[in-house]
Amino acid sequence: MADLDLRRLVPAHVRSFESYRPSNPDRELMRLYGVDHLHRLNNNENALGPPPAVREAVESFPSGVVTVYPNGDCFDLRHSLAGRFGKDPERFLVGNGSCEVIASVIKAFCGEGDNIVTADRTFAVYEWVAEFSGIKARLIPLRDMAFDPRGMLDAMDERTKILFVCNPNNPTGTYWDRATMDAFLDEVDGRAVVVIDEAYFEYVDREDYPDGMALMERHPNVIVFRTFSKMYALAALRVGYLCGSAAVVDMVRRTHVVYSVNTLAQRCAEAALRDDAPFIAATRTMVREARERLCPMFDAMGLEYIANEGNYLMVRVPMPDTLMYRKLMREGIMVRTMTGFRFPNWIRVSLVQGPVMEDFCRAFRRVLDKTA
Amino acid sequence: MQVRDHSVSLRLAAEARFILLVQGVVEQGAAAFGLDRGKALRLTMAAEELLSHLAETSAGVAVDLTLTPGGWCVRADFSFVADPSDLWAMNLAAREDIGPGRSMDRLGLLLAARMSDGFEIRLDGRVVHLELRQDHAYEAVTPRPVRAADARGEVRVVDDPEPALIREACALAVDHYPAHLVNETFFTPGKAVQMADRGDMTVALAVDGTGAPAGLMTWRSPSERSVGFCGPYVFVRGGGTAGKLEEWMFAAVARTRAVSLFSELATADLTAENYELLGRLPLGRPGLRGAMPADGAGQEGVELDILFRHLREDSGRAVWTHPALRPFLEAAYDQLVLMRDIREVDHAGADLPERSVFSARLRPELGIATLAPMVAGRDADQAVADHVRTLTHDGYRSILFRLDLAHGWQAALAGSLVRGGFAPRLVLPDAGKSDMVVFLHG
Ligand SMILES: Cc1ncc(COP(=O)(O)O)c(C=O)c1O
Repeated sequence: MADLDLRRLVPAHVRSFESYRPSNPDRELMRLYGVDHLHRLNNNENALGPPPAVREAVESFPSGVVTVYPNGDCFDLRHSLAGRFGKDPERFLVGNGSCEVIASVIKAFCGEGDNIVTADRTFAVYEWVAEFSGIKARLIPLRDMAFDPRGMLDAMDERTKILFVCNPNNPTGTYWDRATMDAFLDEVDGRAVVVIDEAYFEYVDREDYPDGMALMERHPNVIVFRTFSKMYALAALRVGYLCGSAAVVDMVRRTHVVYSVNTLAQRCAEAALRDDAPFIAATRTMVREARERLCPMFDAMGLEYIANEGNYLMVRVPMPDTLMYRKLMREGIMVRTMTGFRFPNWIRVSLVQGPVMEDFCRAFRRVLDKTA
Repeated sequence: MQVRDHSVSLRLAAEARFILLVQGVVEQGAAAFGLDRGKALRLTMAAEELLSHLAETSAGVAVDLTLTPGGWCVRADFSFVADPSDLWAMNLAAREDIGPGRSMDRLGLLLAARMSDGFEIRLDGRVVHLELRQDHAYEAVTPRPVRAADARGEVRVVDDPEPALIREACALAVDHYPAHLVNETFFTPGKAVQMADRGDMTVALAVDGTGAPAGLMTWRSPSERSVGFCGPYVFVRGGGTAGKLEEWMFAAVARTRAVSLFSELATADLTAENYELLGRLPLGRPGLRGAMPADGAGQEGVELDILFRHLREDSGRAVWTHPALRPFLEAAYDQLVLMRDIREVDHAGADLPERSVFSARLRPELGIATLAPMVAGRDADQAVADHVRTLTHDGYRSILFRLDLAHGWQAALAGSLVRGGFAPRLVLPDAGKSDMVVFLHG
């Protein structure tokens, strides 16, 4: 049998691309690190969740339904979202996590030679999807740890199809206020699509925080991303969505895989939206308390940190972040290393319930005391 | 299809009557690629020796020869199907067995290896790739007395530095640092520029507010999973030059395929908290090249720090070990907080090829030789002893041996190494296909 000639079959931009390697399952990690528990503080999950209505949806899920294809375009969920946001259901597109809709948007708007513009130190998937699709990603440095509107506008050219703004930014938690966002959208002036990724929208409780759902009514080039992974704690079920003008969403739908969201996920997402106010309030309280627990400890230890919006913060440790990761793992704590986000020696920590934060603080102190 | 660099290829049978043909192609091709006459002739002779060796040992086998200009070098790559154990004569130590009064039939191979500026043998299934390299001749710089001045204005790392700036920075590194800490290509700045141009080495260069070089750092990828760096070399006081160069490098390598970053030559200017110290290796003969500053580095007892950082989270894996190596590995992994399942292998040697082949990377100016196994044969104990004898005779004081623990057959060699007077000194996490263990002789 002839050898498969992958050099000829696979485009150069795919060959040179490094695949993302998710971590091993917990039981395997726990065995290797010799611990009997593992607190996952690495993926900004909501440890409180999911909302109570979701539990019911899971428990009452009839097994007979698994033989039938899900609704291909999430009919009921789109109608729930439409009701919630007062928009036409056709303006919503649901994906297998918002990661999937990132790919659909890039496929819809970018061809060979086009580019996207985003920040250098933000959620990496925009850059990844662009690059493995052969699309150039222009990465603009953060300014004061926030997206730099001027830098992004200056980087635009006639081949720029999409500007990705992560608001609030993962991992720095900074956001553009309404005035900054308005001025930016005015200046883009419809020349390119502006994706506002609001994965952490429900965590932000600020007067001047702009709501993409409102902005898109004045700016038809705006697409908003939201997800059920973060606030609603449905990360395992993979449901995210986008919303935009009907014409724009119609274009994106053409490139989008149907049936990518399963029935259980659709039902749980719908349930999560029902009576979610108390749940959101409780989660925000948990996150605020966690932040108030961690920041004074970092202050006392003289460590630099970035704690803004979102259910996470970052702290700079006096050693390689990857070593800190291994040392914390041995204490049963899993954090995110930030070298890959271009924050060497920083770790990102999800903000969760008090007892777990206490465990984190103890482990963190123990590790640093040992190396002091 | 476009041919990169207009390389020249030839497919022929290993037969003596084609020797002239190979001579002609290599000599004229090398000249066309700009190699000077003396160097072109050396490459030609090496190629000729190799073909006549193959004609004798594997008559008629198909040989693919590709001659490629590499910017700063010309490479002749031979690929053919052969028993790798036949290549034992490429071993450094082979001259003990070959020569007047002893076996003459492998002399050609030995000469081919010696006449090259570098050679590499790779096995791809049963196909042997043997690459001979000749470097272009470059003018060398020697150190001038200097003193670091304060940085003027803000120090920043420049994108895509000019060749002239790289040359200047190389010369400054030679001026400011003891020779044993200077990347050897800096002594020939023209070569450094071309290596950077080809992507064989990446350069981060910092300038101060006046545009004058403030610092330099270089790196390369010795394997798919690892990056090795030299530096940082800092020429000014203040300005945070080292930190800026290091962050630039981390940003550049963190989203590549590389998993780990090592120091090849670490200067004292680097930011200690960015790395983990893996250990220290003695330098055999520091400072033989160029003048030594009066910092004591010219004396015995100089050690090189080996530093490392992972670029990703480590989720653990399994590695192979020889029983003799287990206690060392357990201690090293514990120290590094690295999770590994350690599995034992111990080859009794029954189904091994007859002879071993080791690759050697030589740094004569430092007195360091680094060996790695390409074929482990039943003669491993003897091959190890022969290499040590040859290298010691040539004045190498630091003889290192690297094993990749991804491969049971490499791990099994630890027994021969220990019997041959080697002791494990450090683990380089993810430096090869998996972790590498570095042994030191004596
Ligand atoms: C900014 C941002 N956008 C999108 C996502 C993707 O979330 P999902 O694919 O789970 O919806 C994440 C998850 O980490 C994120 O941080």
